[in-house]
Amino acid sequence: MSVDQRGSPPAPAIVEFIDQVRRRVAEVVVGQDVVVERLLIALLTSGHVLLQGVPGLAKTLLVSALARTIALDFKRIQFTVDLLPSDILGSEILDQKTHEFRTHQGPIFTNLLLADEINRAAPKVQSALLEAMQERKVTIGNTTYTLPAPFLVIATQNPVEQSGTFELPEAQLDRFMLCHRLKYPSRDEEKEVLRRNSLLGIHREGSGAVARTEFDAVTHEPVAQPEDLVAAMEAVQQIHVSDTFTDHVVALVDRTRHHPHIDLGCSPRAGIALIKAARARALIHHRNYVVPEDLFALAEDTMLHRMRLTYEALAEGLTGELVLRSLLNDFGGAKSNGELVR
Amino acid sequence: MRGWLAAIVVAGCAGAGVALATADDQAADTQASPRTSSVGMPVRIEQLMLPGSELEARPIADRETPIVLRVVDAFRHGSGFRYDLEYYGLEPGTYDLRDYFRRKDGSGTEELPAIVVEITSLLPPGQVLPHALEPRPTPRLGGYRALLVAAGVLWIAGLIAIRMVGRQRRRAQAAASVARISLAERLEPLVRRAIDGELTPKEEAELERLLLDYWRQRLQLDDSDPALALAELREHPEAGELLRNVETWLHSPEGAGQVNIAEVMQPYRDLPHEPEQQSASTVKA
Repeated sequence: MSVDQRGSPPAPAIVEFIDQVRRRVAEVVVGQDVVVERLLIALLTSGHVLLQGVPGLAKTLLVSALARTIALDFKRIQFTVDLLPSDILGSEILDQKTHEFRTHQGPIFTNLLLADEINRAAPKVQSALLEAMQERKVTIGNTTYTLPAPFLVIATQNPVEQSGTFELPEAQLDRFMLCHRLKYPSRDEEKEVLRRNSLLGIHREGSGAVARTEFDAVTHEPVAQPEDLVAAMEAVQQIHVSDTFTDHVVALVDRTRHHPHIDLGCSPRAGIALIKAARARALIHHRNYVVPEDLFALAEDTMLHRMRLTYEALAEGLTGELVLRSLLNDFGGAKSNGELVR
Repeated sequence: MRGWLAAIVVAGCAGAGVALATADDQAADTQASPRTSSVGMPVRIEQLMLPGSELEARPIADRETPIVLRVVDAFRHGSGFRYDLEYYGLEPGTYDLRDYFRRKDGSGTEELPAIVVEITSLLPPGQVLPHALEPRPTPRLGGYRALLVAAGVLWIAGLIAIRMVGRQRRRAQAAASVARISLAERLEPLVRRAIDGELTPKEEAELERLLLDYWRQRLQLDDSDPALALAELREHPEAGELLRNVETWLHSPEGAGQVNIAEVMQPYRDLPHEPEQQSASTVKA
């Protein structure tokens, strides 16, 4: 039985909305089309994204540009070891005039929250954020507040400089629908980045001036409103998922649980995330049904952070990426299990 | 003159008498009055005249000897020797030093006079003594060098065992790969059932997965990134059309109505049944 049998083609307005967002972000951020696509997928499916990449890959700029493109509220928190849960969620403050407590809402009350270097904060801060991500509610004092809709957390992690960090455990990584590993831009893209940067110039302020940055180049005029986003989110729900595709997902997830190199296989949440993300990707690619290409494109971002390799596999120098690639390259199980195709 | 001679004879007799008296006194001294000392305190006896050939201290044969004797010096004295001796006792009691001598020429010591000494203890009577140490087995056989040699032998044996096990495993895998069903053999019944319209949804999914594997192997895209390989397959003039048709058939909401399945599957009906060979890029983990 199919997940959805309707499969109506995407409306032109929705297609136009998605293309406009991608075009606007591309005006500011060179390359990184895949990341923009992943962020859109997260927005359309109410998932959360963990971006892993070295500093300087325009993560913050990308999120900032995306927020301004759709007229969404955007806040950024730089996670540090001395950050407290109340710094994120908010707290009750005693008003000296009225002698009553009033609630100060933290930066989590926003549409797009960039949690920069989430692994630098203590586990209790990470837990506070991740609980809010899952429940979309925050309790301050005795009052529970619902977070704004849409609510999307985009967390970043630096894969290097691991000293003094608190690595997110598998249970908390599982809360992120997508975990995308950012790659360096290609040579042509990097040339374009440098060319655009050299044309930024300076920005006069009163009698002084400062050099303009890429953030100054972000157009403040949005191309879409949150209502457009809601319409696109509804359109995602119309994307058809066949039994065959569901079978592919179940087979792939199941193989991670029996692979000799994988200690902890993917949870059912991985399959759910893969199908949700595949539907959003199908919409982004102007299709009204998902195809295996969606699965292949999204498997790494939805499954890799939900797997843990065995000690022996790690000792042999294998990575989760290699093992997952071996599973995808042997999609039908034509080769024997346990052999790794590099 | 006669008077002088008489005086010399009298003096000589008197001297001899004194000498004999001294020797007798020494002999009586060695026999009668034992020298007394406490445990561990060295005692020196000087110029003790003992008859016969030269004596030396008997070597200590075990750790239980109660007396340790040393001959400090020996001087010839007529037919015998004068000795400077030193001894100390380790156990309280009365001992005869004669038992701790031997002749250098190996002759007996029976004619020696008794040299009795007494070793006393300073400890009060009833003193509690510590328990005697119990013998224990040695902690390990051999020393550090033996341990290193043993570790080296074990390491080499382990290395050989690992290599042998690995070789056996490779042989078993090679045998298994020869016996494995080929891709074509797995595809054939599914293709036939697809043409006949008898595939279950599970078999439809398996058919698509095997078709993807088939084309990836045929176009040698095993080394490529899976997502990029699939994109390349979709662009391939032969594979692309097939895969797009299969996608429409299996994934589109309109389903099989848009695709002539028998026509799409026809080229895969009689694939050659070659045993599946392992790709050169396949590495064992």
